Amino acid sequence: MRIRTWAFFTGQAFSSMRRNSWMTVASIGTVAVTMIVLGIFLLLGGNINNIAGNIESQVEVSIYLQDEITSGQVDDLAQKFAAMEQVALVKYVSKEEALQELREMYGESGDFLAGLELDNPLRNGFRLRTHRPEQVLEIVPTLRSFDGVAEVQYGQGFVEQLFAVTNVMRVVALGLMLGLASAATFIIANTIRITVFARRREISIMKYVGATDWFIRWPFVIEGMTLGLVGSLIAAGLVAWAYSAAVVNLAVTIPFFPLVKPWPFLLGVSGWLLLIGTTIGVLGSTLSLRRFLRV
Amino acid sequence: MLELYAVSKIYGNGVVALRDVDLKVNKGEFVFIVGPSGAGKTTLTRLILAEEKPTKGQIIVNNKVVNNLRPSEIPYLRRQIGTVFQDFRLMHNWTVEENVSFAMKVIEAPRRAIRKRVPEVLEMVGLANKAKHLPTQLSGGEQQRVALARAIVNQPYILLADEPTGNLDPETAWGIMRVLQDINAQGTTILMVTHAKNIVDEMRKRVVALEGGRIVRDETRGAYGNEN
Repeated sequence: MRIRTWAFFTGQAFSSMRRNSWMTVASIGTVAVTMIVLGIFLLLGGNINNIAGNIESQVEVSIYLQDEITSGQVDDLAQKFAAMEQVALVKYVSKEEALQELREMYGESGDFLAGLELDNPLRNGFRLRTHRPEQVLEIVPTLRSFDGVAEVQYGQGFVEQLFAVTNVMRVVALGLMLGLASAATFIIANTIRITVFARRREISIMKYVGATDWFIRWPFVIEGMTLGLVGSLIAAGLVAWAYSAAVVNLAVTIPFFPLVKPWPFLLGVSGWLLLIGTTIGVLGSTLSLRRFLRV
Repeated sequence: MLELYAVSKIYGNGVVALRDVDLKVNKGEFVFIVGPSGAGKTTLTRLILAEEKPTKGQIIVNNKVVNNLRPSEIPYLRRQIGTVFQDFRLMHNWTVEENVSFAMKVIEAPRRAIRKRVPEVLEMVGLANKAKHLPTQLSGGEQQRVALARAIVNQPYILLADEPTGNLDPETAWGIMRVLQDINAQGTTILMVTHAKNIVDEMRKRVVALEGGRIVRDETRGAYGNEN
């Protein structure tokens, strides 16, 4: 279509919004509120994912070796671990290194560790990381079956619970978002339906002079898209502002609380809000037009 | 130009609006469709505009069968048929010029063609000096002239006028009839549904009379007749 025709459609959309200004404000407001709630969920979801990811990535398998094991057997085991397809990282930790780590962990209060290097009670061992945290559960039985392995620890129980909780949270967040998005779609559909209804006489005139359905539809689609876009822009702006402020304040009051850094996280969240808001607008107007085009 | 072969329209509730109507209208003809209320005049116009499909029979506009068009083809049929109604059907918040140019925007005519053609048709219907007025600032007769200008701006093959003088006083009605005659003189076929006995009797054009869904009379230089 010609650019001029698009200019005409846009002009039509905007004059319709001006004429029904209170309805326009109301639906932009509704979209904004919905998108703010959705934005809060996205922020929460992102942070939950981040925390879960942090914890998950720290899931490690510690393997303690029998004391009488030879260095040849240790090399042999290292190769066997590395050959397992789930294993991403194999690290040998001698008992001296383990002691050193304990010292660093306890710092000044680590006096009780003094003198232990003479008779180190710790054991030589390995630490493994898997490609995906949940693979830990798969490999533990195999690890236990190797000769020379005295003990395998992986935070039993805790890992299973963590996965269960994060999965439930993801499903709940997704469900809430879908619910909110469809509610906003119906609100826009209603707004457009009111303008379509007010203009059904004009629509029938357009049909008599030979306008195609898309010629009639576009101004309404542009109107819905604009309502969705403006509403979600407001929401994205508010959400971004509030989150940035929250990050700054939390850094002071609760240091080390692992909030996701605003940049580029907020860019992603705003992008999603704009995309969903605009889609909702287009969807709403298309829905409400279907019935009225049969003239 | 316009041909109907054995066209019948029976509505879902069993009402027979048209039965076995045969009608042929040639290019450049001026035809009055007359008959009492419920005779099938409105159904006839709705079928020609593809607002409804005939139950039986065939309708041909400009050598194209139109009784079974897909919805996406209907707009292109309507661009070949200009329409004027008793209630004018103008956009109230658009100026006269905008109402007329809209029909050209719909077919995506070039801007230069619109700027040239719109003043021409406004001149032809005698509204050259009211281009910037809103319909609400015009009299009924003037509003109908705007509708006429809009109907012919794309140079349709057929002009379908459904009681174009129904809301107008006799003098104004004659003004509209003169415009219609001018349009007809330039080669546009005109089909006019009307109850205006004096106009039909005076003009002495072809008269097709409908009654109970049938064509009961078709005279080349006819009069309104006695049926109400």
